[in-house]
Amino acid sequence: MNFEDLQKAWQSQNASATMTINADVLLKEVRRNQQHFRATIIWRDVREVGVAAFLTWLFLHWAIRDREWSLYLLAFACFAVGMFMLADRWLQRKKRPVTNDSVRSCVEASLIQVNHQIWLLRNVFWWYLLPIQVGLGALIGSVVWQARFAGLAVIIGLTVFALVCGLICWGVYKLNQFAVRKSLEPRRQELETLLSSLY
Amino acid sequence: MTAQQQETIFRRWLDEHIGLMLKVVRGCGASPQDQDDLFQEVLLQTWSSIPAFRGEAKETTWIYRVAWNTALAWRRVERRRREGHETFIKFSPSPQVQPSHMDSLREQEVVERLYAAIRQLPKVDASLALMHLDGLSYQEMAEVIGISENYIGVKLNRIRKQLADQLKGASNEL
Repeated sequence: MNFEDLQKAWQSQNASATMTINADVLLKEVRRNQQHFRATIIWRDVREVGVAAFLTWLFLHWAIRDREWSLYLLAFACFAVGMFMLADRWLQRKKRPVTNDSVRSCVEASLIQVNHQIWLLRNVFWWYLLPIQVGLGALIGSVVWQARFAGLAVIIGLTVFALVCGLICWGVYKLNQFAVRKSLEPRRQELETLLSSLY
Repeated sequence: MTAQQQETIFRRWLDEHIGLMLKVVRGCGASPQDQDDLFQEVLLQTWSSIPAFRGEAKETTWIYRVAWNTALAWRRVERRRREGHETFIKFSPSPQVQPSHMDSLREQEVVERLYAAIRQLPKVDASLALMHLDGLSYQEMAEVIGISENYIGVKLNRIRKQLADQLKGASNEL
């Protein structure tokens, strides 16, 4: 059998012969899906930036009320993290893959997106954990200094609090590195293989 | 573009190009469940792409791009997203043929083998094989994939040989 015969057999198939589509339900579903997608994106932004904004406001409020310099620092750290996330989201929005682009452009854009995501998670310590830790460290240090005559129990309590904070940060860091290994690295390899087959 | 215009175009594309989308899906998804899920994803992405459609590209080129980009990005885990949603499609991966139509039945077997062979190819090669079988020109394939026509020619030569190797014996049945 030559290729023309195969092509003839292929083109004679009626691929959609046994398929029935309820167009009205389909339209309802695509609209619902689009709304769901938009809502997911908006809620993700609100959740991430909203938490940073709320914490900024909260620490700022306490800093003004208690006239505590370390709370100002913590508020600034939360603000900086929130701004970083917002700026990153805004910059990356323009680089999203577009499904109606050519396959190569779409794969390239997806690869850029995945590489950026990997970079973000790999460096989560620098842009997320470190600023918060510096703010928290300053707050704990300041409280320890003020409570230096309050007794050993208070000092131990604050030390335990500092250790718990450190442990949580370590957990967040490990979780992010796990996400890179488990999900993003395989995706990057997949996209690189695809892209190399296009050159 | 108004919602009404988007809906009109979508309904027309469903009528005219549904077979094209289905072929891409069958060329990518191995199990009927995967095919069903990927097909729904292709339909959803096609709908979303319509506002960007300005008529500069051919409709078939546009739909191929959307379908292949969706298929390449699609992963099985995404299935969970739509669990419990209303089913809008009744999907049978293998068209039914009356037993009396033996030629059709044999042709169908060849087509099924072709699908199986295409699924064995690397994804980009699978997309080229499918478009080539559908009779797209080198220029159209280049527009969909984003590589030069010369390179498409080189790749298709290799793909044809691979398909022929995998389909040895099919000629006796046709």
